[in-house]
Amino acid sequence: MITQMHLKGLMFDPYNNAYIVVLRDEDGHEMLPIWVGKAEAGAISMALENVAPPRPMTHDFMKSILDAYDAKVISVVITDLNENTYFAKIHLMYQDSEYTVDARPSDAIALALRSNAPVFAKESVLNKQSSEELEQWLENLKPEDFGKLDS
Amino acid sequence: MGQNPAPNQRLIEYTVDRVLDETNTDTKILVLARKDGQPDSFPIWIGAAEGHAIKLALDTTLTPRPMSHDLIKGFMEHLNVSVRRVVIGDVKNSTYYATVFLENNGVERTVDARPSDAISLALRTRAPLYVTEDVVARRNTANLESWLAKQDVKTSSKQQEVRES
Repeated sequence: MITQMHLKGLMFDPYNNAYIVVLRDEDGHEMLPIWVGKAEAGAISMALENVAPPRPMTHDFMKSILDAYDAKVISVVITDLNENTYFAKIHLMYQDSEYTVDARPSDAIALALRSNAPVFAKESVLNKQSSEELEQWLENLKPEDFGKLDS
Repeated sequence: MGQNPAPNQRLIEYTVDRVLDETNTDTKILVLARKDGQPDSFPIWIGAAEGHAIKLALDTTLTPRPMSHDLIKGFMEHLNVSVRRVVIGDVKNSTYYATVFLENNGVERTVDARPSDAISLALRTRAPLYVTEDVVARRNTANLESWLAKQDVKTSSKQQEVRES
């Protein structure tokens, strides 16, 4: 079973000096936080905010290569979370064949946003990551921890 | 799509010499050297993350998970696309422009890229790197030699510290 997830936001985590990509399902029952680095957060934020950079950023370049040969990103699936290491699969369609490529969720999400492809999470991943944990974590956040992406 | 450098444009082959830290800023300096051994340092200022991606490829560091350019390489392997060459073919307002030449079953495509992405991919796919003669002539190397000399002193003293600790 997989559940479609939507990107709800991006936050700065001052305790780990990292960023959190927050995914949530349609009806808000499931929440999936994914910790990513600064550069990865930047790549996601640019796509989220529809910022057109003067030069192609890494994931724009990635998409240009796929476009050059008419390969399409069909979907992205977050498949596993293991001791803070996250796994994702990118499903590509190329010349009537489907290909599955292993990726970090941050790359997969950055590419999915640029390709208008849906992002899914495996049920086992959602079960592993209880959203209670995240809510508790959110409660401890101070208002000044938000919106630090540009710094 | 990248713009093809003029076909009559002579190309000079370069290799990646090293990636240097620029103190006090969030940038790195990518230093290219001529493949034929002629003394020449071609510096390109790049972002910290881009510099890190190049350093990983230079040191052939294996990361537990595929980094962004490893993923691009992964896509290309699946699609049977290869990188024929990377050409830095233009410079405007101190910004260098690179073109990545791709090939799949005889079908060639070019993709516009920042030099950092193009070179990160070229290192991972062992593709040759060229700079057009025109760009070599128009680049800005002001103060690089003195800057490099200063950096060499710093680097060697840093290595000393590591050894001693």
